[in-house]
Amino acid sequence: MNQTAGNDSIIGPDHLILVTGASGFIGSRLVAHLIERGFRNIRCFARSSPALGRLEALCGSPRNIVKIEVMRGNLLSRDDCTAASASAAVIYHLAAGRGEKSIPDAFLNSVVTTRNLMEASLRHHCLRRFVNVSSFTVYTNTQKRKGRLLDETCPVEQHPEERGDAYSFAKAKQEEIVIEYGRRCGLPYVIVRPGYVYGPGNEGITGRVGVSTFGIFLHLGGSNKIPFTFVDNCAEAIALAGLKHGIDGEIFNVVDDDLPSSRQFLRQYKKNVRDFPSIYVPHAASYALCYFWERYYNWSQGQLPPAFNRRVWHASWKKTRYSNEKVKSRLGWAPKVPMAEGLRRHFKACRDKGYNA
Amino acid sequence: MLKVALVGCGKIADDHASAIQRIKGCEIVGVCDREPLMARQFYQRFPVKRYFSDLRELLTEDRPDVVHITTPPQSHFEIATVCLESGCHVYVEKPFTVYASEAQRLISLADQKGLKLTAGHDDQFRHVARRMRSLVQAGYLGGPPIHMESYYCYPIGRSGYAGALLGDPKHWIRTLPGRLLQNIISHGVARIAEFLVSDSPQVVALGFVSPLLKSLGETEIIDELRVIICEEERTTAYFTFSSQMRPALHQFRIYGAKNGLMLDQDEEVLVKLPGRRLVSYAEKFIPPVASAGQYLGNVAKNMRTFLARDFHMKAGMKFLIDLFYRSIVEGSPVPIPYREILLTARIMDLIFAQLAAKEPWTETSRSRPVDTIAN
Repeated sequence: MNQTAGNDSIIGPDHLILVTGASGFIGSRLVAHLIERGFRNIRCFARSSPALGRLEALCGSPRNIVKIEVMRGNLLSRDDCTAASASAAVIYHLAAGRGEKSIPDAFLNSVVTTRNLMEASLRHHCLRRFVNVSSFTVYTNTQKRKGRLLDETCPVEQHPEERGDAYSFAKAKQEEIVIEYGRRCGLPYVIVRPGYVYGPGNEGITGRVGVSTFGIFLHLGGSNKIPFTFVDNCAEAIALAGLKHGIDGEIFNVVDDDLPSSRQFLRQYKKNVRDFPSIYVPHAASYALCYFWERYYNWSQGQLPPAFNRRVWHASWKKTRYSNEKVKSRLGWAPKVPMAEGLRRHFKACRDKGYNA
Repeated sequence: MLKVALVGCGKIADDHASAIQRIKGCEIVGVCDREPLMARQFYQRFPVKRYFSDLRELLTEDRPDVVHITTPPQSHFEIATVCLESGCHVYVEKPFTVYASEAQRLISLADQKGLKLTAGHDDQFRHVARRMRSLVQAGYLGGPPIHMESYYCYPIGRSGYAGALLGDPKHWIRTLPGRLLQNIISHGVARIAEFLVSDSPQVVALGFVSPLLKSLGETEIIDELRVIICEEERTTAYFTFSSQMRPALHQFRIYGAKNGLMLDQDEEVLVKLPGRRLVSYAEKFIPPVASAGQYLGNVAKNMRTFLARDFHMKAGMKFLIDLFYRSIVEGSPVPIPYREILLTARIMDLIFAQLAAKEPWTETSRSRPVDTIAN
């Protein structure tokens, strides 16, 4: 309790913190974490109503002597952004549009919303930190690096439109506009790029392990390490990114320690949740699949969806190692939930949710 | 080279741009969205010469021959009017306009200016729909249609679209008279309108909020709709929209005095329904084999079309746009007769008016005659 508020923090316990996407998978954990850290003035902004119940429950909790304001709205509305960001000293911006398969939808709900929020917050002149929660998906990962290490110095995708993935495009463009506002308007931003956030609430299998495109599960990850971060660990890293001194303009990758390989994860999943048939596709074969799919996509002028191409392969299935050195050294973060425990909780949640049916 | 412009850079604009790219003799000279970031992201992804956030600037500086309007429906009428006034032919996404009266005014304006209009009823130009139209025109039904059934469903679950719509009390869909239905059903209604000859069919509509949406706290978004359409006691039609029934069908059945046809848009299948009956047990064995043969024939056709690189998900849109452009360049008839666009809009007006009035399904209105379209 009260580990950060008022100590090594850019804000005190009574400064207003805004969390967008507060009812989401990570957002709800972040709010709980901020409360645990002793912050007493939190505004939770969310669009959808059903999940807001969890947050409203936090408001009524007698053990919390905190003011939690739950605000429903839409970041596409400039008025809502102005109201949400009023008096906020720190903004944790988690709300984003996945867009399903629509790039314009994802862009609208990630980039336009972010621009609206940044402009509104800058007008209030009280913002000390804008934490933009991004994703590993922005990395291009096409370079041949020594040791195949991916860290914050690696280049991001310069042509996200060519990957054909709505979420990647939107996240890359979102980062671009945040950095632009930092440079042009002095926005005090920090970017956090979590790997694959897992845990109760996100029970699917990441595409980095494999896909079910052809009616059978294609195991594409093989011996690749999967950049997992348990949701509570990730929420803590995000919280710290909004509080630490001297990190404006920095980018932090968040992955846990002791990452399992794709094969190890899949084996454990089948053992602990449910068994299902899968076919391992070696890296050379998955690269060939992506290459020929991409060629066919171009030749047929988009007759098949751009599900596989070489950019996707590099970003998702290329053998890569991950570093969390920077987030540990600069933010003092360490994953409190070890990988084994995180996976145990994750598999239990999958079973509870009926994924073993 | 036909100069094309797009107004509105949302999801459907991507489909338009992809289709236009596959048509020879045209180029996208400009795009416009009042949100500059949306216009810019479109410009970055497609071969477009310029982007704008002001419609009049686009029309003045790029002087397009054709404008595609891919904005939310509430703005269709106003934008189309400006484009027509500027001398552009206009392709308006569905629903054509919010009200039939607006559709009539646009058509009058286009006629007055010597320009052409079309509506985004692209499902009617899919391969399977064109095959069906050819058979009907060749007299396969044995006369005018006696009955039609159009299913046009849109599956809604607890997440995804429902989440965005239900969680946003200011969502633009909510400001349409027909709300969710208005944004979706025109494809299915247009299928029926194509085969009606009268401008004044009778329409009886029943709509309600599904139990799922009710359980999510929704009270105003009607997502279950059943409609009966009757034309001068000669041709009838049922229209069904459902967000909950599975499979979520996109089917059209049409029956004449001799034979019928069944179109399944999802499977891209057209099946002939012969009216002739066989005797005794032959009826139990021969027709199922014949049906199996028809399905195999559909598979073969789909494979051939796929191999010919003409089986895109929005193949109908490309065909419709191509026909529309040819009608402009060559002076041929517009691909969708204006009468059909108007009739679709009128039927939709009537459906939404009845849903708003909760008629004719209340006890008090049960004895009243069904509404008819006022010209």
